[in-house]
This record gives sequence, structure tokens and C-alpha cells, in this order.
Amino acid sequence: MIEINGITKTYGEKVAVDDLTTTIRPGVVTGFLGPNGAGKTTTMRLIVGLDRPTAGTVRVGGHSYAHSAAPLAEVGVLLDAKAVDKGRSARNHLLAVGATVGIGKARVEEVLAMVGLTEVAHKPAGGFSLGMGQRLGIAVALLADPAVLILDEPVNGLDIDGIQWVRALLTDFAVEGRTILLSSHLMSEMQLVADHLLVIGQGRLLADTSMSDFIHHTSHGEAVEVTSPDAGALMPLLAADGVVITSTDASRFTATGVSSDVVGDLAAVHGLRLHNLTTVTASLEEAYLELTRDKVEYVGGSRLAMAA
Amino acid sequence: MTNQTNPTVHSAFDDRAHAERPAADSPAVMSAALTRTRVATHKQTFARGLVSEWIKLRSVKSTWIGAGAFGVVLVGFAALGALLTSSAAGAGPQMTDPLSTVLMGANLAVLVLGALGALAGAREFGSRMITTTTVAVPRRWKVVVAKATVLTAVILPVSLIGVFGAYALGMPILGAHGATTVALTDPGVLTSLVGMAGYLTAIALIGFGLGMLFRGTTGAIAGIIGGVLILPMLLGSLLPDSWDVVLQFLPTSAASAFTVVAGSGGMVLSAAAGVVVLVGWVLAAVGGAGVSYVRRDV
Repeated sequence: MIEINGITKTYGEKVAVDDLTTTIRPGVVTGFLGPNGAGKTTTMRLIVGLDRPTAGTVRVGGHSYAHSAAPLAEVGVLLDAKAVDKGRSARNHLLAVGATVGIGKARVEEVLAMVGLTEVAHKPAGGFSLGMGQRLGIAVALLADPAVLILDEPVNGLDIDGIQWVRALLTDFAVEGRTILLSSHLMSEMQLVADHLLVIGQGRLLADTSMSDFIHHTSHGEAVEVTSPDAGALMPLLAADGVVITSTDASRFTATGVSSDVVGDLAAVHGLRLHNLTTVTASLEEAYLELTRDKVEYVGGSRLAMAA
Repeated sequence: MTNQTNPTVHSAFDDRAHAERPAADSPAVMSAALTRTRVATHKQTFARGLVSEWIKLRSVKSTWIGAGAFGVVLVGFAALGALLTSSAAGAGPQMTDPLSTVLMGANLAVLVLGALGALAGAREFGSRMITTTTVAVPRRWKVVVAKATVLTAVILPVSLIGVFGAYALGMPILGAHGATTVALTDPGVLTSLVGMAGYLTAIALIGFGLGMLFRGTTGAIAGIIGGVLILPMLLGSLLPDSWDVVLQFLPTSAASAFTVVAGSGGMVLSAAAGVVVLVGWVLAAVGGAGVSYVRRDV
């Protein structure tokens, strides 16, 4: 459990995090979204005490991280995979970090095998590719089998094997009742793995909700894709308040604000042919863009009336 | 979800997870129980911080390259100095004392150790490794003290070996050519040699403090060269004699009270006072680095 209570962080004039309050609960994967520079990394740094908040408090597992008795066992962190000494081997890097909480060779070898770095563990970490560096960063986060996992862009540069492995790991960790905070720019990946979402923009909390609620409420919800030779006759029948129809060509259109049941029934009643009737769930990407677009307009102070 | 591409690796993780975890009804209960077991076995202690810093220091090449360069300079200059002095000695009485002759490399060697210290203090800031270190040991004072302790544990023996090596190589050369020599049992000789090793270690620690304070090697090494080499010479020749009272408190001048390095100005502290002043410089540099690291964001 991570309890963030009214944290603000300013660097000179710039406000990086602005009065953020939220609780990141155990047992679910919490996704952390926001445009570049929105304050995601700063928030993560504030949680583990790398930066001190200008105002507010953060508690991890009930206390300030600075007072943690077994830091690495409480929180595993991946903030910057390139933050390793270039000349030190991956194995020595893990041994040095693990030693701070009494972790020795056996566990280091275990973690190296987990992230698939055993073969290259003796090589200087400075020569690692982005993906290998990322694996090493994940290995550090997992060293002491932590109760809380904070990962900033963990799949950045990982190959498909690595991405699938991280996905499985996060799901397992959530099932085991651990707390997971994860940021990523890959919306499709986030949609697959996260149960809960925090969205911030310009340091402020824009959304703190479950994944399904976020997609449902922020976007137009579900859409119905229709292919029909009688599209020209069907479209006027569907017209109603809240229904938006976008026609792609003479025989195809997409309708929002109406269910596939209604479309199918109407077609049957009027004897119109249907070749395809598909319900399309809105994606996280669409919902996210919708939310941040609104935010940008709001901030710009000139909320324009949207066409259609 | 299972990992199809790397099943062995993933199952290894699962086995461990299940073996360590007591069964519990709700995830929250399970999480709390897990945290307690892990906290009990994975406590962060100062001793563990020391082990970590030792692994870090020994696992980078620069530590041993620096130590090697230091030894070569100190011992090499001892041989060179002894040979040069010996060849001049036949003509008349020696001008310099034998100990100064065999330790003539110290003025250069001290800069090598100062740079080594600066690197030990600054390199984690350059690589950003300091973020990982700070997350692993959030009580930041422990990091500074552990780093300084481990650095001392490496540099002091290296300095002692270098200094006694220079003595052991230089004195026989002087003796073989009929020049004046001193023995370890002569008054003040042993103290001077040990004092020299202490001075060398102190400068490495001051370099470490500056490196951590400036978060970079450039400023720290400039500080060491300026403070140890340039400032004493410059001030000693530029300032009037009345400033000697102040100059004797410079690190190198303070060290000249208990070793054979050349200080600035005419006044010299007592040996005990010299030790106190030099230790004061070390504490100021390392303490300053500590305060800065504790207070600033990393």
C-alpha cells in the first residue's frame, strides 16, 4: 500500500507534482499514465525518498520510506535502467545492491536466471543493450522479493519474450497481494496488464479509477460496426439523441450510443440485410487521448465546441 | 498467465514464491505476513552497507589502477631519488635528509590518491547509480560513513605498503653508494613513515568528500591539486611572514608537523596539533559531503 497525501514538488518555478493525493492498493496492478513531463517519474522518486516533497507526505507500508527497516524487501524500484556503473559487471552490481540487506550469491544467481542474464552476468553493465539494461534494472527491483513494486517504463526496449515475462510477473505479483505501480507509454500493454489507473497531467491527478470505468466513462464507450447493402436505409432509422453515426462508405458505418441488439432488431423489423454487426470496445488509447485532449483545451482556456 | 517462451526461468520464480509464502485467506493478510518475514531477514544494517560499499569499490578497475599507479610513483621515485642523491653524495655532505629523498614521490603520489578519493566520492553521481544506492540505503548518512570507511580500509594499507616499500627500496640504494641512511629504529623515523601513510590517506578522504560534495570529479580533483600543491606554494611565497600562523593550518602544512612533506611558511605545528588539524580537514570534507547528500535530492 502506498499512501500519497497532498504531495507537491516544485523545482524553482516549475511545479512538477501539484497537490497529488491517492492510495495505491495491494492486490492490483496500478497503471500510471500521463504525457511526458506530467510528473510520473517525480512522483515515483518522491515515494522512495530520492526527492523530498515541497509539501505533503508519502507513506509506504504505513511509514515513510526513509524509515524502512528493510528497504529493498519493502519496495523494489526500477526508475532508470541506465543508472548503473558502466565498469561493473551485472553480477557485481546485483551483489553490491543485495548486500545492503544481506542478500548473497544464491539469490543473485536466481534473479539473474529469472531475467535471463546469467550468460552475460560477468560482462560490464555499460556494454549492455537497452533491453539487457532493462532486465538488469528489473533484477535489482526483484532482488529482495519486495512487497511493493514501482516500475517506470519497465518494458521499454524489451523484446517480446521479455514483455510477456514482465506481464506474467506483474499479474502473479498482484495475485500474491503485492502493490504494483507501473508507468508505460504503451497503451495496449497497459490495457492488458493494469486493473486500476492513475492519470496525471501537469502534476495534477486527472483520473483515479478502474481500467474498465476509465475506458467506459472517458471515451464514447462501445461502438457498433455495421456492414449492410441497405446501409443507406438503416442509418436514418438509427438516428436519435446521443447516437453518432460515421459512415465509411456506401455499405459500412460505425454507430456509437446504440447497442448491437437495437441495430439488429431494427434491421429485422424493416427487412434490411446485415452482413456484419460487431461491437467494438473502446481502447485505453482512445479514452486516454480523449481525457488528455480535454485537459489540454481546458488548460488553454479556450474550450472549443467540438464538431458533431 | 503463463510464460511460454521461458518456462524454466518462470517456474523457478514460482517455486520460490510458493515455498516462502504461508497460505492466507486474503491477499492483504498474505501481503502483511510476507512483509514481516522479509523485513526480519532482510534488515538493512550498517555492517551490510559496509559489505555493499566494499563490493562496489573492489569491483571497478579504477580502484586498483589508481592504487597501482600510486605504488609505482612512490616506489619508483624512491629509487630514482636515491640514485640521484647517491651520485651527488660522493662530492660532499648530503643536503637533504634520507627520509625526504626516499619519499620524494609523495608529492605526486598524493595527487593520485586524491584523485582516487574524488572518483570514489563522485562516480555514483556520474553514473546515476546513486539513485539505486539511495533507494537501497535510505538513511543516507550510513552511505557516506560506509563509503569513507571502506575507502580508508583500502587506501591506508595501500599507503603503508607504498611508503614502507619506498623506504625498503630507497635506503639500501643510498647505503650502497655510501650516502647517509636512517634506520627504522632511529628516533622519529617510524613515526614519519606511518605519518606519511596517514597524510596520504587523509588527502584521499578529502578528495572523496569533495567528489561527493561537488558530485563530479573535475571540481574535486581541481580542489585537491589546488589545495595540496598550488595553494601552499603560492600563499607561502606571496603572503608576508605574518600569515604563517594561518598557513600552518593548511592540510599539507599540518601534515608536515608529523611527516617529511614540505609545508608552506616558516611555522610548524606540534605533531599532535598537526594530526588534529588534518583530521579536522577530513571531517570537514566528509561531513560537508554528508550534509549535502542528506539534504539535496539525488
